[in-house]
Amino acid sequence: MTSDEQLILELKQGSEPAFTELFLRYRERVWGFFRRRMNDAAQAEELAQETFLAVFRGAQRYEPRASFRAYLFGIAFNILAADRRKSASHQTSAHVVPDEIPATSGTNQETALCVRQAVERLEGDEREVLMLREFEELSYEEIAKILYVPLNTVRSRLFRARMALRDILTAAPGSLGGRK
Amino acid sequence: MNSSTHPYEQEEVMAYLDGELSADRASGVAAHLRECAECAELVQQMRGVSVQLTNWSVEPAPAALANRLEAARKDRALPKVKPRGGIAAWLDGRFAPLGGRWAWGVGSAVAVAVLLLVIGSPNLLRTRKAREVTGLNTLAESKQLMAPATPPPDRASQMAAELYRERAQISESLEIQNSRSAAIMIPQATGPMIARTASVSLIVKDFGPVEATVKAIAQRHSGYIASLNTASPQDSARTLSATLQIPSAQLESAIAELKQLGRVDQETQSGEEVTKEFTDRAARLKNARATEQRLLDVLREHTGKVKDILDAEQEIARVRGEIEQMEADQRSLQTRVDFATVQLSVQEEYKASLQGAPPSTATRLRNAAVEGYRSLIESVIGIGVFALQALPILLLWGIILFLPARWMWKRFRRTAAPQS
Repeated sequence: MTSDEQLILELKQGSEPAFTELFLRYRERVWGFFRRRMNDAAQAEELAQETFLAVFRGAQRYEPRASFRAYLFGIAFNILAADRRKSASHQTSAHVVPDEIPATSGTNQETALCVRQAVERLEGDEREVLMLREFEELSYEEIAKILYVPLNTVRSRLFRARMALRDILTAAPGSLGGRK
Repeated sequence: MNSSTHPYEQEEVMAYLDGELSADRASGVAAHLRECAECAELVQQMRGVSVQLTNWSVEPAPAALANRLEAARKDRALPKVKPRGGIAAWLDGRFAPLGGRWAWGVGSAVAVAVLLLVIGSPNLLRTRKAREVTGLNTLAESKQLMAPATPPPDRASQMAAELYRERAQISESLEIQNSRSAAIMIPQATGPMIARTASVSLIVKDFGPVEATVKAIAQRHSGYIASLNTASPQDSARTLSATLQIPSAQLESAIAELKQLGRVDQETQSGEEVTKEFTDRAARLKNARATEQRLLDVLREHTGKVKDILDAEQEIARVRGEIEQMEADQRSLQTRVDFATVQLSVQEEYKASLQGAPPSTATRLRNAAVEGYRSLIESVIGIGVFALQALPILLLWGIILFLPARWMWKRFRRTAAPQS
């Protein structure tokens, strides 16, 4: 199986199938990245599209020095940050957590809602580190580079976020499987 | 929790859980977790949080995303999900009749201004303020796809180019960090890795205690005997050949003790540097693991045909096989580095002894009879074999030559008869 880095290098050489393959590999992840952070599904879709197009256009400048995943989510995060600033200038509500609940089974839906509400209660910086780690599965170093913070800050924020989330989930009456 | 009761901070325990610790720290934390119930409970709680977060799933990506992206990629223009307003739309409408000339002029002026600004303050783009606009610039660059024609480099694209370079630097540092992580995962790879081998041939007078002594030496140096063979042929010196695996650090002292067994007939030592091989294998192993993880992700998120899922599972099985093979090779290589191989050959000092008494006359006669009988049988068998081999060709030539020979014989008889 061709690695992501090989594919982006092939894309750099003009290979369209390489881009298609990258898109298929990361479509759900990039979509999930924006969907978990935005209210509006259409806006999330648009930003996901812009992320892939930025990858497509930026392939000529890509240098194989880091994992493609970190590169991709770095672009996604920048696009998200720009969109947040723009939204903040137009309206006050640019909340991270979507209001809509994905169509899942009843128990999962309740659990998902409980988890989302718990994440929503975290501090903004800590929440971002937690989400980049848990959902995007980035390393501490990659998160530090994306957020422009020191590595120790990433670790501290992640620890505080996890402990706060543990407390929230444990205290929540509807929490499932909360441990103490 | 404090450092007086717990040697590791809670954040470090968490980093261990995330696989972010160096190998030595990770082993220390792992050992501590086996002993400390409080820290083990903390690990369980953090794992529980991660498990609960997996419940936050989102609906699948809209199918339209792929279609629009495909169209945008082919057209090199981003179809708008929503109509855009603002200054850009206003300018677009106002200056459309002028074509691209207005945009080129303004863009060039802005580019010159930005260039002067960048030359004047080279570190400007590395400031926090500049970093904050990274996303905006990336977004602006993406938005360029929406334009029907490629605009000239403006301020945003200049800054985007700078920031791409900055991102490349970040990527480079990330790569360095990753390579450091790989090195940390395999601490032996940080220095030169030498697979040492030695060969010692000894000649001893007293062969009796050699085997026990060799075993004792191997045990004393925390090594082991990989193979050991002894031979005691008649009318020849006894020999012992053994392959010892001795920790590399103790190779010299072990060889010194072995050499005390007797006279050294031959001794060689060699070392093969395997650092590059080890590092290459580690990198390949890391890539294979990443591939496996991606395959697992694909399998977990895939909702397509059953055939595709089966193909993915087969690929996972193949990659897993490769990983296990590489891990085994890596362990073998590590063992070669950790344990030096000593080929030991011990030979007893040979003292020739007198032959025994010659055999009796009866025995010699019996042996002669047996030899004669054996020769007879072999001769008969040889004749039979020759006959069977030559008979067909003799028959053929006999048939061919019979009539001419008979005719010549009769002619000879006729010419001889009148004379007589």
